[in-house]
This record gives sequence, structure tokens and C-alpha cells, in this order.
Amino acid sequence: MNQILVIAWREVTRLRKRFSSGASPIAVLLLLAVLGLSAFALRDMVSLGNGLYRVGVSDDVPPIQDSRFAVVVVDPSEGKALLDQHVIDVLIDGVQVTYRDDDKSLFAIKALKQYLEKQELVRIGSSYPEEEAFPLRVGINYLNASQAPGQNEATPTKPEEVIIPSLTPPPAPFTQVLLALIYILPITFISIFFTSSFMDEKANRRLTILLSAPVTPFQIILGKMLPYAIFALTTTVLIAIITKGNVPLALAIFAPTTLFIFAIYLMVPLFYRTFKDTTFIAMLVTTLTTAYLVFPAMFTNVNDLAYISPLTLAVKMYRNEPFGWREYLFPSLPMSAIFGFAMFAGTRMLNEEFLMGYKPITRKVTDAIYLMMAHSKPYLSVPVWSLLVIPAVYMTQIVFLAFATNLPFRMMLGAVLVASALVEEVVKSVGIVALAEHGVVKSTRDIIVLAFLSALGFLIGEKLLLLISISMVSQARVSGALFSAGVFLFIPLFAHFTFTAIVTLLRTKVKLPYILALAAGTVVHFFYNWYLLRGS
Amino acid sequence: MISFLAVVKKELGSVIRDRTIVISILIQLFIASFSSALLLGMLSLYDSDTIMKYGGAGIRIGMIGTSDHPLRPFLSERGLQVTLLPTLADAESAFYQGQINAIVDTPQDANGITEIKLYLPDSDAVSSLIRMVIQEPLKQYENFLRMQNGIEVNYTDLKGKPATSFEFVYSVLLPMLMFFPAFVAGSMTVDSLTEEVENNTLQTLLSAPLTINSMISAKIAATVILSVLQCIAWLTLLVLNGIAIEHITWILLLAVIVAGITSTSAALGAVLLKDRERSQFIYSLMLLAAVAISTLLDVSPIKTLSRLAIGDYYTSGWNVALFAAFLAGLYMILWKVSRRLVV
Repeated sequence: MNQILVIAWREVTRLRKRFSSGASPIAVLLLLAVLGLSAFALRDMVSLGNGLYRVGVSDDVPPIQDSRFAVVVVDPSEGKALLDQHVIDVLIDGVQVTYRDDDKSLFAIKALKQYLEKQELVRIGSSYPEEEAFPLRVGINYLNASQAPGQNEATPTKPEEVIIPSLTPPPAPFTQVLLALIYILPITFISIFFTSSFMDEKANRRLTILLSAPVTPFQIILGKMLPYAIFALTTTVLIAIITKGNVPLALAIFAPTTLFIFAIYLMVPLFYRTFKDTTFIAMLVTTLTTAYLVFPAMFTNVNDLAYISPLTLAVKMYRNEPFGWREYLFPSLPMSAIFGFAMFAGTRMLNEEFLMGYKPITRKVTDAIYLMMAHSKPYLSVPVWSLLVIPAVYMTQIVFLAFATNLPFRMMLGAVLVASALVEEVVKSVGIVALAEHGVVKSTRDIIVLAFLSALGFLIGEKLLLLISISMVSQARVSGALFSAGVFLFIPLFAHFTFTAIVTLLRTKVKLPYILALAAGTVVHFFYNWYLLRGS
Repeated sequence: MISFLAVVKKELGSVIRDRTIVISILIQLFIASFSSALLLGMLSLYDSDTIMKYGGAGIRIGMIGTSDHPLRPFLSERGLQVTLLPTLADAESAFYQGQINAIVDTPQDANGITEIKLYLPDSDAVSSLIRMVIQEPLKQYENFLRMQNGIEVNYTDLKGKPATSFEFVYSVLLPMLMFFPAFVAGSMTVDSLTEEVENNTLQTLLSAPLTINSMISAKIAATVILSVLQCIAWLTLLVLNGIAIEHITWILLLAVIVAGITSTSAALGAVLLKDRERSQFIYSLMLLAAVAISTLLDVSPIKTLSRLAIGDYYTSGWNVALFAAFLAGLYMILWKVSRRLVV
């Protein structure tokens, strides 16, 4: 523990030295906060379709304040000609609106309608008494659709919620999703510093010296991560205070997310070879994590799959809607598991030979997997690997599912089946292939036994996860279908074993390129899944 | 000049050898397809027109009231199936038997404020869907009641076409694809300059017959060439997908200029700070600030690009020239301070 703190303190000193000559971190943070908040304030101004439409108006039309419209004051007599020459898209003369019947003009009209409707409400609201201007109230009650109430239970007479249709838009979570996104930005920025710290020490070889000192790689990683993690959690608290969120709840929601992001960024310095690599890998990581976190949260209250992102919980927090332990653990457990896994991987990879080698990136990944597997006997490490990567597989497959929902239904099913079969085959076979390429396993018998163990580990992990996810979010049946298998456990076990054996044997014994071996296994796996789905 | 070209060639060669630029291209493809997918998903879940087009016919509303109630035609016009039911008890039993999805109760007392009741299923997904599609008929009914109060509401008869995907393609997708390569170009300039400094290869490079300015310019040129190639590829893909883009030459020129601006300012940062960590950080901050400021000043390259692409009457090559002038100024500054990289 003491050593971790020493490393953490050294890290703080290093950072302070680096930024004392240029900009102080506080000034930078201040700048960042200003930028973030101004972006947040600008969110109405910088909207979809910024500056796309030209609107010609006569003198008596009130000014149009919407960034989508650029207004030109025209003489009504010339307006029609300008409209026909495509100089303007819409002509407003008093309360009279003229347009062409081509697409662009019609788009402009639709956009204008939304804007003018709002303006009319403001006008009516200010010039007439309230009960005349807003003469309709709609009381909303919710009925439990699955069961009728008993005889003595009366229908509620008092509405749970009263709305005025023109003033109450239907619920959409965008604002809260944006708000939740503000938490992610500083975490990402801070984790980039964490990454560059590692890179810096790698470049000037201080890491090598540190590795020869009596500290474990685990202590080094944790020590270096600690200041940044504390920093990231502090910003979470600050944002929660500024946006009037619930501070302990925000911390509980974003702590696993912070760990998750740090875990992923830990991989960047371990794998890069040149500076440009870092930029690209960091970009990839940022894109994927942001998409993974934001995309599901857009569907809060629409689909239960939204719970795979912790931002959904934050959205709920800002709406004062309750959620339970199951909903909390559903996104948080896989994220924490990935953090644990990345820490383990990091400690295995943190050695000089791996860090300094310049090799093709695929080669480096194989080496990394080999390093993780080689710490114990293959008969143990292979099934444990298959079991541990299940959360990652699960997350990847859900991302695929989210993607595929936009395809036509038949294609969607096919695409998801192919993609998930591919991912499963990769995780089951890659460990064995890495071991074989480093000459740890050689005989066909060993490979077949390992393929069986890998399938076994995978199946145990899969069933465990299936059990957890079904009990957590009962409506997410689709996720259950992804992991679908026969009722009898030995049939899927045998199937998984066969696919893995196909891939590994094709690679190690027939010496086929890994991609081809993988494709062969995936095709067989796909047809097996397809057959199962058609049967059920 | 020959040494200039040699550096450009070396830079391009190393990018191709590393292969990680593939990641950047994949990211752009990912963002483009992901955001289109996201938009379509949003449309189908949050846009009532799209809901009605694809799944709205299945929504059945039970209405308690007389057949001549003014709300009824509004609901039917929206495409909702309306069943008239005599009492709330009947409606509830129909609801629990699954014959109707929601109940609208319209009491008769219509003096002053009209109050109607809406009974929705307690499942979040279904009720928010119904709330979305029933919004428009309710608003029309509200306007009807306003008319009865003698209040004239203007502009209610406008229809138009849903513009979301039009706005998305020209104000988000196209600028994203044209400017993301520029953003990457800046990052690569920082990497390539600071790597020379931090690996102590700068002195060796400068002992060749090459001035520091031509060395930096060559690195900038290499990244700009890469970004132009990407832009050409994206434009081709978009046009092949049937998206109409006007003024393609100006758009390409604007993309080149913006890539020049990002790489030149990135190089400026690298020259002054000399290490990757700070230069990259300052570069990303500058980028964020530039987007905010240019939007505020209404000279945003994003807006110029969208307007060029849709063939806006008032937008021409002169708007592009403005950015070219800015680039020239920036480059002059870099030319003056570049010596600080070696000091």
C-alpha cells in the first residue's frame, strides 16, 4: 500500500513539473469547464440543420430567432420571383406563407412550422387570459396492463399527471443524456493524461528502472492510476454539485464507468509503437466508449436494453425516477469486471521486452494473450480465459445488436448471428492458438483437450451470465436469445467444442491463416445457431 | 525542393507502413454509420410521423363520449383506430382484455377549461409511444377549443416534409466526413514533430540540406495530402449513395484549407511546447475553442460547407477565400516562430 502511495505521489510531482512552465492544470481545468458549459449553453443554437434555410420575410414579420433560418427582408412583390429562382426557400408575408413544392422548400416549411407554433403560443399566452389561451387539460393515469384490479379496488379518480398538450412535449431524454455526457468528457480527458504519463516514462526509459525496483507491476499501475482516478471522481462530484444532481448517487454511478474508461486507456501505452499509433488507438478507444455509453442511454424508458449504459441511470437520476439494485448492477458489474481483467492483463504485459518491441499490431496482441496465459498451466489458463472474457463478449454482442436493429428484420437476425458467432470463436480459440505459436502446446491431443476445456469454460460463463441477465432485466429477452442454446447442456458443449476444435486445428495443424480458420469455424457455428433458432 | 519532397515521401511511407491510419478510416466509417443508424433509431422512436408510418396502425384508442365529439376526427385523421365506448367500466374491461391500448375519457362539462382524461398502460415503452402519437391530435383539439374562445391561431395549416434526415446529412454527416480527416491531420502533425524532438532525431534531420521551415512544411503537406485523399474517398461514396452535393470543387478546397489550418496550428503548438503530452492537449482545446468561437462569430466552416453543398444562393468561393486568408496568416506566424523548435 505504502509503495502505491509513493508512486502516486511521484506521479503528481511529475505532472506538476510538466505543467508548471506552460499552463497550470487548474487554469486548464477552468478553461475546460468554461468550454463545457458554453457548449452546453450553445446546445440550442448549434442545432441540426444550422443555417440551412433562407427565409424571405416582409417588414411586418417578427424576427425569427432560430439558427436553422437565415432571414432576408424582401419586398413582397419581388418575393415570389426570388422564391422561384431558389434564392429563398420560403416567403412569409404577414400571416401568409408561400413555398415551392420541391423537397428543400418543404423541409424548410416543416422546420418553420415547429418554430412558428412555439411563437404563436407565446403570442397567445401573453395577449389572452390563461384559461382562454390554454383551454385544455389532460389528466394522465397509468393502468397495470397485465392484471385487472380486484372488485373492491376503485379506478383512481385523481390523475397522476396533468398536462397542457401544447406546452408539454412528450418525454424525450435528450437534455438529460447531454447532461450525463458532461460527466464523461472530463473522465476521458483525464485518462488521456494517465496514458501520456505511461508513454512519457516508456520513452525516457524510467519505466524500466521502476520495473527493476522492488515493486510489483500491479503496484506501479495502481499507483500511477490513483491520482488520476481521484481527480476524475472529484470532477464527477463537482459536476453533480453544479448541475444539482445527487452527489453520492452520481459517484456510485460513475465510479465503475471511470474504472472502465481507465482500464481501456491502460491498454493504449502498452500497445503503441510510434506516437501516431497512440493518437489512432486513443481515438478508437474514445469513439467506441462514447458510442457504447451514449447510444443506449438515448433509449431510456423506451427499451430495457438501455440499462447496459450507466448513463441511463444518470438520466433517471436527473428525472427523479427511482431504480433498483438490479438496474444498478446490470451496467456496473460488467464494467468493473472489465476493469479487473484489464488490471490483470496490464500486470502481465508490463515488462520491458513486451513494451519496447516493434512488431505488427496483430503480433503484439497475440504476444499479450500469450503473456496472460503463460502464468499457469494451459489446462487451467485456457478455460479460465474463456470464462473471464465473457463480459467483454457480452458487451460486444449487445453493441452488435444495437447496430443491427437498424437493418431489416431478416438481415438483422443474420448479421447478429454471424457477428456473435465470430466473436465467440475468436475468444475461444485465440488463447490456444497463441499458446501453440509459442510452442507451449504441440500435439493434436493437447489441442483437442484444450479446445474442450475452452468450450467448457465459455459455456459455464455464458450460462452464469444468462442467469444473471435474465433475472436482472426480465424484459431483455433478446439478450437471452443471443446466448441461446439447447435445453441439454451437453449439446451446446459438444457444439462449442467442435467449432473451437475446427478453428484451432485448422490453424495449428493445417497451417491455414488464422482468418480463414476463423471463418470456417464461424460458418459452422452460424448454421448451428440458425438451426436452433428455426427449431425453437 | 527535392529534400522537401523527400520528407513528404518519408512521412507518407511511415504512415502506410504503420497501418494504424486504417483505424482512423474505420472510426470515420463507424461514426458515419453509427450516427445514421442512431438517427434512424431516433426517428422511429421519437418522431410521431415515422411511428405512424411503420407501426401506428396497431394503436387502438378507446374513447368514452359521443360519436360527434370534436376530438374524434382529429384522432382518426392521425391514423389511430378509435373505438367508441359508453362508460369507463366498459372501456376498462376492453383495456384489460387487450382490445384497446389506451382510454380517452371526455367528460361533458365544457364550461371554462375542458378536462379530459387519458389512461395509459404502465409500461414505459408503450405509454411513451402513445403519448408521442396522440400529441398532435390533442394540440389540434386545443386549437379547436381556442377557436371557440374566439382566439385565432396562425400558421396551423403548414405541413411540409420531415426534414430531419436532410438536416442531418448536410449539417452533420457531410461536415463530419470532410473535417474529421483535418482533425486527424493536426494530431498527426503534433506526433510527427514531437517524435523527432523526443527521440532526438531532429538534429540529424536538420543536418541534411533542409531548413527547419521546409521540414515543418513538408510534414504539414504530408498530413494534408492524406486528409484530402480521405475527403475524396468520402465524397465519392456519398455521391454514389445518391446524395446530391453542389460545388464539389469548392467543398474539397475548403476541406484542404481547414486541414491546413488544423495542421499549421498544431505545428505551432508543437514548436512552442516541444512535447507530445502538452501539445496534443492544447491542440484539442484549441480545436474545441475554435468551433465555439467560429459558431459565435457566424463564420463557421461547418455552416459554409453545408451551404455550399445544398447550393445556397448567397454562398460562393469568396466564403472559402476567407478561410484561405486565415490560413495564410497562421502560416506566416509559424514561419516566424519555427526556429524555437531547435532552440
